[in-house]
Amino acid sequence: MKNKNENKKKILNYREFGIFIAFFTLVIVLMIISPNAFAKPRNLINILKQASVNGILSCGMMFVIISGGIDLSAGSTIALSGVVAALCAQIQGLPVIVAVLAALAVGAAVGAVNGFGVAYAGLPPFIITLATMTGIRGLALIVSGGSPVYGLAKSFENLTNQFILGIPILAIYFIVIVLISGFVLTKTVFGRRVYAIGGNEATARVTGINVKRMKLTVYTLCGLTAGVAGLLVASRTVQGSPTAGDGYEMDAIAAVVIGGISMSGGSGKWYGTIIGALLLAVISNGLDILGVSSNYQKIIKGVIIAVAVYLDLRGKARQE
Amino acid sequence: MMKKALAMLVVMTMGFSALTACGSNKAADNSTTDTTESKAANDNAEKEEDVKESDSASGSDETIALFMTHMSNEFTITLSGAVEAEVEARGYKYSVYDAGQDVATQVDQIEQAITLGVKGIIIEPVSVDGVVPAVRAAKEEGVAVVIVNQKISDPSAADCYVGADAATTGEILMKKAAEDIGGKGNVAFLLGPMGSDGQVGRSEGFENVLKDYPDINVVFQDTAEWQTEPALTITENWLNSGKEIDAIVSQNDGMAVGAAKAVADAKLDDRVKVYGIDATSEGLQAVLDGKLAATVSQGTEDQGKLSADACADLLEGIEVKAETIVDNVTYTKDNAQEALDAIKK
Amino acid sequence: MNYALEMKNIYKSFSGVKVLQDVTLQIKPGEVHALMGENGAGKSTLMKILMGIYKVDAGMICMSGQEVAMHGPKDAMTKGIAMIHQELNTILDMEVAENVFMGRELLQNKTLRLVDKNKMRAETQRYFDELEIDINPKANMRTLSVAQMQLVEIVKAISVQSRIIVMDEPTSAITEKEAEILFKQIERLKKQDVAIIYISHKMNEIFKISDTISVLRDGHFIGTKASTQLSEDELIKMMVGREITEIYPKEETARGAIILEVKNLSRKKHVQDASFSLHEGEVLGIAGLIGAGRSELVETIFGMYPKTGGEILINGKPITLKSPADAIRHKIALITEDRKLTGLNLVGTVKENISLASLQALAHGGILDKKRELEIADKYIKELGIKTPSADVLVGNLSGGNQQKVVLAKWLLAQPDIIIFDEPTRGIDVGAKRDIYILINELAKAGKAIIVISSEMAEIIGICDRTLVMCEGQITGELYRSQFSQELIMAYASRKEGKPA
Repeated sequence: MKNKNENKKKILNYREFGIFIAFFTLVIVLMIISPNAFAKPRNLINILKQASVNGILSCGMMFVIISGGIDLSAGSTIALSGVVAALCAQIQGLPVIVAVLAALAVGAAVGAVNGFGVAYAGLPPFIITLATMTGIRGLALIVSGGSPVYGLAKSFENLTNQFILGIPILAIYFIVIVLISGFVLTKTVFGRRVYAIGGNEATARVTGINVKRMKLTVYTLCGLTAGVAGLLVASRTVQGSPTAGDGYEMDAIAAVVIGGISMSGGSGKWYGTIIGALLLAVISNGLDILGVSSNYQKIIKGVIIAVAVYLDLRGKARQE
Repeated sequence: MMKKALAMLVVMTMGFSALTACGSNKAADNSTTDTTESKAANDNAEKEEDVKESDSASGSDETIALFMTHMSNEFTITLSGAVEAEVEARGYKYSVYDAGQDVATQVDQIEQAITLGVKGIIIEPVSVDGVVPAVRAAKEEGVAVVIVNQKISDPSAADCYVGADAATTGEILMKKAAEDIGGKGNVAFLLGPMGSDGQVGRSEGFENVLKDYPDINVVFQDTAEWQTEPALTITENWLNSGKEIDAIVSQNDGMAVGAAKAVADAKLDDRVKVYGIDATSEGLQAVLDGKLAATVSQGTEDQGKLSADACADLLEGIEVKAETIVDNVTYTKDNAQEALDAIKK
Repeated sequence: MNYALEMKNIYKSFSGVKVLQDVTLQIKPGEVHALMGENGAGKSTLMKILMGIYKVDAGMICMSGQEVAMHGPKDAMTKGIAMIHQELNTILDMEVAENVFMGRELLQNKTLRLVDKNKMRAETQRYFDELEIDINPKANMRTLSVAQMQLVEIVKAISVQSRIIVMDEPTSAITEKEAEILFKQIERLKKQDVAIIYISHKMNEIFKISDTISVLRDGHFIGTKASTQLSEDELIKMMVGREITEIYPKEETARGAIILEVKNLSRKKHVQDASFSLHEGEVLGIAGLIGAGRSELVETIFGMYPKTGGEILINGKPITLKSPADAIRHKIALITEDRKLTGLNLVGTVKENISLASLQALAHGGILDKKRELEIADKYIKELGIKTPSADVLVGNLSGGNQQKVVLAKWLLAQPDIIIFDEPTRGIDVGAKRDIYILINELAKAGKAIIVISSEMAEIIGICDRTLVMCEGQITGELYRSQFSQELIMAYASRKEGKPA
């Protein structure tokens, strides 16, 4: 049928291409404007590094958003898990793995609280994660005594300052986590069920999917990635700060949305999130180098998010 | 039914945690925060916040009450600790209130204390305007009022002010940095949230000093919102910009520490000097470790002691100065250890 | 004579695909004109052109002899054309009167643009009185039934002095009694010379109320005839292009052993003390009025809601069903009433929907075998005749009948022994309906046990071996094929056991 080609085009819709095009255009423009600074390999590696924390967080956020929910508490979880990890890393002689596991455990625990609230108590994700966002931030302040936990073991700092074949290890963590996320979303039964729940929860239930358990798992996963992000921020700044991660959930949501994943759930490709995270990092990096104040950066980011959401709605309307 | 109970439990747990979180959301590491932000939702919850009564060993039964904006960082903890020590040394009872960064809460707390018969109060104002009516009301009741750390919009309404001066603090730091780099070169500024009192005052101080140093160029300045990781990222990018930087002057220690990490990662520690404000324990440690060249304190302990003294003096009929500006102290490797030990005690 | 509306020689293509070719429609004032055709014939495109949503490539629209151009739905409304959609266009959280005057609110004060609610309510009440409609203008739309919402839409159309009202599947979601009220209103409209373009798949309805019937097929105009001069067979032939010897191709099948037994099943007040048994190879119908509890009964059997009493036995063994997953494990499938709400994931592709109930079976160690998934999807596309360019198309883009086939494919893949169909042919054209009836036959022949819930008595009578009848949560009657009659079914459907209607 003649429609075959048309439909193929609809699948690779211009929005996904649009993101790639926008990204590469921006990179090229910045390279031209600032050949001595932006285009340096050292800087490009920095971008990858700077995109990593947000990128890792975005992976967890991606699962939640595809399932039809949202997690506003990720930033606060970064703080709490970072503080807990730092408290472990303060203890001389304690193997660094303890700090790592502690951060992951904290992240997963917060995620599980969110998950129970959404799945079993039936609370709207926006509301419960808003509450956790506030409460966990307070907990971080209490646990840390109000100020940053510093004086951490070198082994803890070394978690994020190594290089493998010239690539910063932060970027390697990011790449690994992204690839695993992509694999799970596209190739596993679990991933397919996440899409199903986001696409139509009632239908998913009727086909025998345990929606409650799935949601609990998804939010726990997001909390886990926040725990990882918190660990890495604490290692990178060599302190566990109770005020860290403020607003990071917004950047993660932005990366996911810019990358083409619909806020209403059920659709979107995992690699879009990579582009989204990289795009945000390129903007910050480029504008910092050019000396543009971060307030302008916020405006630019806001415009890009608005455009991405607009294209998402347009793409939906087109289908009807 | 079960679901509803579970939902209530979760919400209550969250709500309870939210109570303890109030006012801690955007807490700067050690600097006065943007006072116009208040969380209306936390209003009612905060009304019963901490009221500590201390037992006084000797002296009068009079109480001096301290009203803090919040009690969730090293600065506020140090300040209130110093007030408490001096109040008791002067022989008075001490009580402290935490407003959770909410101006309405602070006003309620002040009114409540006056009703309870408190005769001397020390206020660290949440809002420069919002607390003025409460101050006036207190004066009408004959209560002695001392304002600490930040001036209110009508200073004459209170009896006196004790604090550091943001511009002066900025000037002292900028001068130190300018001299360290030999009066010429490129500097970069890390600022607090744009428009906040801390940021505006300290930037003013920087500019004042720079007038005398025509050979110093400001190549970058941007806000890192008092936070360490954003400061790290911004500094990383500045260091890669191709522009030479000789000094990074940060408006608080939290950001300075982040900048120092970026400098260390880029292996530029010999070339780039980093400066901070607040003399937190972390900042002092960084100075001792050679990561920061210097940090300037806002005389937190002195603010506490002197405001308590002023209040006690007023209650005893002794005249006090309308305005007492405490000295800033610059800490370098030479004198940082003492200060650090003092805090750790 | 002056036609109220003429659409002459309309051509329309989308991206090279010809959707309408030389279509002419002529509507006389005060007539009910049925527009018939299979799904995909071009009816809705034609109506969208009439409403100004699409522009014609060639051809023209004339009203009362004058050529007009439609610039959009609001413009069409001012020119006297109104449409009552299959999915109603009401704002649920507003009042009835506000909906009636939506877009042209009566103002108290022109400069401040304050809305005059009382005036709107009074006006609405006036129309209601005229048309003998018993609805409170102040009522919130959410509290209205579907049938009542439709009446409000009609009043809206009348109040803007519409001369042409297009009704798209108006009786698909209302009872037969409510449909009678609708038809009475249509009579009134006819007396006022308002013309109705009536789109429906229900044959008996079409012949009952329309004056003229026009048929489209594959974008072409086939013909127009007075309804009195047309027989059902002829009409079907015009629509489908081939002879359909039977609408209901029933084949007798020997029925096998009892596979499902339901004993005194209860669920609160939705299902009361229901008992019946189901044999392999049997097609069991469940008839009744809307609200009789039929869907509730099968949903309880499927584990969607917990039962409050009674038991369910499969092959003689009692089972506990706490969730659909349990039911699926016991080889039960439920094809729900509303495919868009609970049958499909509209943002998923055809193949993703087909595999949804069988993910574990298509996976090794948690990892999907995507090649096999595609193969299976293609197989079902071919076997069930699903019209789609490929298995990777979003299922939301398919027509209703093909969407229903995707739902069927999903459940067939799960290899159930007991298949429950809840209103399987709602909103589906004649050709696709027949495909589904044939499929049900084949499933019965293969030994599956089938339950069919339907509100179309003709359908129950046409395809079932036996039927239960429900009323207000109870099973009130059971009839064998030889006993089937519309009167008997209606009688059982209108009374509870022991209580005459």
